[in-house]
Amino acid sequence: MSCATCGAPLDVANAMSESGWRAAPRLREMAEFRVGNVTCQIAGQVVPVAEFTLADGEVIFFEQHTLLWKERTVALAGKNLNQRGQRTIAGMPHAVIEARGPGRIAVTRDASGEVVVLPLHPEVETDVRGHAFLAATQNVGYDFVKIDKLASMFHGGPGMYLDRFVAGQTQGLLLLHGYGNVFQRRLGVGEKILVEPGGFLYKDAPVTISPVPVQSGAGFRHANWAELTGPGRVGIQSMYVHRHIV
Amino acid sequence: MSDYVCPYCRLSSEAGSRTCPNCGAPADARELRDDEGWVEQPPIRDMARIQFGQSQCQIAGTYVPVAEMTLAPGEQVWFSHHALLWADPTTHLAARQMPKGWDRRMSGMPLFMMEASGPGHIAFSDNEAGEVIAVPLEAGQIIDVAVHRFLVATSTVSYDWFTPQVWWILGTGSEKEKFRPMGWAMDKFTAEQRGLLLLHARGNAFIRDLRKGEQIYVAPRAVVYMDHSVDMSIHMERPASPRAHWMLIPMVRLDGPGRVAIQSQYEFEPEAHYGWNELGPDGSWRNWNSDPSRWRPVVKEREPLYP
Repeated sequence: MSCATCGAPLDVANAMSESGWRAAPRLREMAEFRVGNVTCQIAGQVVPVAEFTLADGEVIFFEQHTLLWKERTVALAGKNLNQRGQRTIAGMPHAVIEARGPGRIAVTRDASGEVVVLPLHPEVETDVRGHAFLAATQNVGYDFVKIDKLASMFHGGPGMYLDRFVAGQTQGLLLLHGYGNVFQRRLGVGEKILVEPGGFLYKDAPVTISPVPVQSGAGFRHANWAELTGPGRVGIQSMYVHRHIV
Repeated sequence: MSDYVCPYCRLSSEAGSRTCPNCGAPADARELRDDEGWVEQPPIRDMARIQFGQSQCQIAGTYVPVAEMTLAPGEQVWFSHHALLWADPTTHLAARQMPKGWDRRMSGMPLFMMEASGPGHIAFSDNEAGEVIAVPLEAGQIIDVAVHRFLVATSTVSYDWFTPQVWWILGTGSEKEKFRPMGWAMDKFTAEQRGLLLLHARGNAFIRDLRKGEQIYVAPRAVVYMDHSVDMSIHMERPASPRAHWMLIPMVRLDGPGRVAIQSQYEFEPEAHYGWNELGPDGSWRNWNSDPSRWRPVVKEREPLYP
């Protein structure tokens, strides 16, 4: 009754609002899905936990502080990311933990919300706001991209950098954590949408993000929207830190 | 007729009710057990009732649940004052001084608790999204609870606290520093007669039974409660790294037999640690570096480990 690749329930209506936002599939309790020899199960509704069953030699990676529990047989290894100095300045993690099977391990973020399951097709790039990454399989490349323009860095919402995930030659699995509820829509070529900067969660790489001043009234003259321009998929979260700058 | 044994509180009651009268867990819900053996504690249904003595507790709300109590004349509950949400004027409130005041202050624990006596109504809640866990205790039963998880207990449950031997020491001499990832104190509750203990777990709660000798490694702040029979020890994970300078990941090793409950939202130990000079009793470590020249399990210096 659920998708074997992302765990989404298949027997529920495709819930889309009139304005085009589709609720990210709310995974059922204990929904299980599989990519390669990695099996993932999502448990909990308030602060969901992602539990992985790793076959011998299978690897996932995640940020250190998301580790909840593990079995003794799961080997951990540190992996430094590129340009760690820049990432440190930007307040981003400069290293991740790789967990190698066999065994089981669980990760979770320290906040209410949803786990977003994004199976990545080969060569597809996805950009994610900082501190939303939960876990990914080994064949997913993890890099970051600097947001163009100084104004975008300070007023665009996600900060100086976006995490960029790229699947290799085979399909990969990327798990994100969205605060509150997560919604997604697909923008056509040149189609734009203005998003409260703190609400931005992820986008396909072709989607551009840039700051646009809020036009309504003098009190908002230093506030900015994050303008997302298609084509591609964008995701937002409903609980966020308001980035209103006055 | 007692033919329903609740899988969560392990107490028996009459069959046919939608909820367990002892702990409020839904009796008609499918057990959600993952492949590893963790059972998700089902949230207590909105407005579910729990009977204790002649009094009753009703759980209201689902995001930040409130425990509303209808106290019978002469029956008492006690609690930390910050958990009090409201009380009606007929409920008698009194302070309850806790022993070992200096130690409690050093541990960041309240010096006083409060007692409420019936008849009357009174309500309690934590102020974080999560679940209320009702733990009915049989006479003589003891459980250990992580600090700040306690919500309210009946007067038949006595309270003590202890310092968990989950620690490591960094440095020597005057630079010696002790780190306690589970905090300075844990609460210990003992039922003198049958009683009820309410806890609050942040996020979702999961429980599992560890067999004798079975072990699990858990983030220290994720622990909510455990049976007194479960042993806990410090465990250090040092991930392998090409440069062997990786920080330690402090975890708590839980050894069965007994029941263990964890929460999915917890505080991360933010400090960077590169080594230790001494581990707590039965402490263990795992260095995943395969290169023996980089295998340095015990650090004598405070400097980071660089090859």
